Amino acid sequence: MSERLRIALTKGRLQDKSVELFEAAGLDCAPVRNPGRRLIHALPNYPLDVVLAKAPDVITYVEHGVCDLGVVGKDTILEKGGAFYEVLDLGFGRCRFALAVKKDSDFYGTYKTRRIASKYPNVTRAFFEGKGMDVDIIKIEGSVELAPILELADGIVDIVETGATLKENGLEPIEDVARVSARLIVNTASMKLYKTEITDFLSRVERELGGRT
Amino acid sequence: MNVHINTPEGTRDRLFSECLERRQVQSALVELFRRRGYTEVITPEVEFYDLFIQSGNPIPQEAMLKIIDRSGKIMVMRPDCTAPIARVAATKLKNLALPQRLYYDQTVFRDRLAHVGGSREIAQCGVEMIGAVGEKADLEMVAMAVDALRSCGLKQFHIELGHAGFYRTLAGRMNMPEEELERLRAAIEGKNFALLNDLLEPYRGEGACAALRRLPYLFGGVEVLDEAQTLAGSCGSLDHLRRLYAELEAARYGNCVRFDLGLVHQLDYYTGLVFRGYAEGAGAPVLSGGRYDGLMEQFGRRAEAIGFAVDVDAVGACLTVETPKLETVIHYGPSLLAKALAVVDSRPAGCCELSPCRTVESTLNLAREKGASRVLVLDNGEERWLTV
Repeated sequence: MSERLRIALTKGRLQDKSVELFEAAGLDCAPVRNPGRRLIHALPNYPLDVVLAKAPDVITYVEHGVCDLGVVGKDTILEKGGAFYEVLDLGFGRCRFALAVKKDSDFYGTYKTRRIASKYPNVTRAFFEGKGMDVDIIKIEGSVELAPILELADGIVDIVETGATLKENGLEPIEDVARVSARLIVNTASMKLYKTEITDFLSRVERELGGRT
Repeated sequence: MNVHINTPEGTRDRLFSECLERRQVQSALVELFRRRGYTEVITPEVEFYDLFIQSGNPIPQEAMLKIIDRSGKIMVMRPDCTAPIARVAATKLKNLALPQRLYYDQTVFRDRLAHVGGSREIAQCGVEMIGAVGEKADLEMVAMAVDALRSCGLKQFHIELGHAGFYRTLAGRMNMPEEELERLRAAIEGKNFALLNDLLEPYRGEGACAALRRLPYLFGGVEVLDEAQTLAGSCGSLDHLRRLYAELEAARYGNCVRFDLGLVHQLDYYTGLVFRGYAEGAGAPVLSGGRYDGLMEQFGRRAEAIGFAVDVDAVGACLTVETPKLETVIHYGPSLLAKALAVVDSRPAGCCELSPCRTVESTLNLAREKGASRVLVLDNGEERWLTV
């Protein structure tokens, strides 16, 4: 008995890269490329259904087992946490989490409690807890770079791709918090119940990834 | 005053079919447990916070629902059934001969983040066998775990076995600092192959490196034990699992049993066999258990212990339970209550009920409103069936 698996992809850039990867691995992803109004896409030549979701929802769907697999950024995994298997580093969507401060400021050279603005309060808390340092964390939803400029915060913890935005706003990254890339996650029960199907999918993807490096 | 008409987040009213599901699972499990010689223990819903810290079972502080009583002591809504039962067995039952077989059918409470779904009240049915060590005790427990899920009516399920000792053996062969070992363990538990590779890279070539690298993949049928042996050589925990499997197979439990040597959760708590049950239709394990020989000592009595708990509602959600449908309303005249009740009692539960109305006319209306198809009129010694 072969079970159809269901995978949730993070909408946007990770979705495009995932589709590229799956197609290179021999899966026909035409329905995902031309989605129309449908929200769930059955692949014609492989027992896999694809749904598209926002990053944190990918984790939610996989954790609850309504999707067996998911593709989501490590940034979201670090921020949201959860119980699932994180089986593959897909290698794309690479960037880094960094602590950035105003250029030439001495971030650590003070006894004052530092204030950090971030879209990722949990990542920020874990990072400074690891250092044994108490900080004030302020959650910002939009452009985090604004907070130090407006003197709301002493630094930010955010995703850095090229560093251009930081530079233009007088900020510089001073420390890496974590390396980020897209991950393939698997529901813990699905892994056990549909081992054959999931192993087949994983080995196809792995073979393609192996050919890349 | 504004009355809250909603239930608090994470709690719910269970109605009709959800109750039937829960009761069906509970009664199947309780019947099995009692038949196998287990006796029931009911412990308080509220216990001292310290109890669960002392037990060594890492329930995160924030997951416990706390209450401060009038004397200022911190209490919690019971987050787990095993620690309270260990407390009872170590104190009130300490003069009874071992092994003791105990079961429970209780609710545990776990606080959760808002809006993630799932319940703060979890109905658990489980068993503890205290004071029995060795293969036969483990065997009895695994067989009962299989029988437990089967008796609930699950069709597609399996019990997966692991052993805390296997990882310990491998970790013991590594020259790795404690902190890094913990990260390694977490990577194996989460089947995070990428991180595991990174962590092991500096230790390439060390004794257990190859085996640790494969550990998250070592799940599936009995063949994973062979692969583990090839990678790690002979060790007690593998031999134990192998002998267990041979016995289980001889008792025809083999097709419900699998292995995951990467089951490395709560290693400070589990001392030997660990196992989980998976059922088709459930996104998380529906049964979880293992051996915790160090637990009883925390409460002052040295004794081995092994047990498991079934997540009753998770199993119930995998079943299809029909709620009975009302078919017949009975209209009875003076002095005919006994006869009317005899009819009700002779039918399957829920398909027949008495009418409180005085006239046949209103009974017919009532039957129509409730969707019943027939009315039975018992009056003046006659018995009439009316179609609604």
